[in-house]
Amino acid sequence: MTPGKLARLRFLARVVDKECRHLDTTDRRLFVVAMTPVRAASLADDADLAERVEAFVGRFGRLQDTLADKLLPAILSALGEPTGAQIDNLDRAERLGWVESADQWLAIRQLRNQMVHEYMEDMDMLASALQSGHGFVPTLLRAANAMVGELLARGWGE
Amino acid sequence: MRLTAEQVNVIRRIAREEAGADSVVRLFGSRLDDTARGGDIDLLLEIPHAVDHPALFSARIAARLMRALGGRHVDVLLAAPNLDTLPIHGVAVAEGVRL
Repeated sequence: MTPGKLARLRFLARVVDKECRHLDTTDRRLFVVAMTPVRAASLADDADLAERVEAFVGRFGRLQDTLADKLLPAILSALGEPTGAQIDNLDRAERLGWVESADQWLAIRQLRNQMVHEYMEDMDMLASALQSGHGFVPTLLRAANAMVGELLARGWGE
Repeated sequence: MRLTAEQVNVIRRIAREEAGADSVVRLFGSRLDDTARGGDIDLLLEIPHAVDHPALFSARIAARLMRALGGRHVDVLLAAPNLDTLPIHGVAVAEGVRL
């Protein structure tokens, strides 16, 4: 492990820690009540709610991307595992027990496309996407914990 | 249409497994243009019954198809009795080719 690789791993672990806390906070605030089609329709006129949804979608997406595009390849590389296309890395992460299912991870990535309220004209679909996203927050947080836990177990923590 | 027979078979099989034998899948969008290159695969999936958790349902099908089609980006637009019919559905039906 070179000092540069170690520093990057620690940096990414700090980023993931912050992203998890921010996602968790906005998730709790947004889903105090369920996201129904009626509530989704109110986004057009409710600027505060729209900002909260925007924060949720942004934080959800950033955490998923940081985990899959940055932290996962960095850990695999540190472990001397081959790294490649994201899907191959996710398959390895599934085998190592860091993500529950690579297929589910890809579906969550697709789901994000339907959470963008300006693009979605069907409120049933928008509400369904956001509510499903809420259901996957624990999945992302568990994946983050598993990957950061791997760093700590290897003595690569701070 | 810029899909191979094998790709069409994969799409048909996964659509039926996920949405049932009575579902219909149509290709629309840029993959119908033989002069274009690359591009997303836009699919309309018509289902004659109500769909629970429709956003997750379409995301899961799109993810399965992306993996089965070697990472090509796939968008799945759903048509079902419990979902709105939007202008994009009209375009997809009008120009779409049934697979």
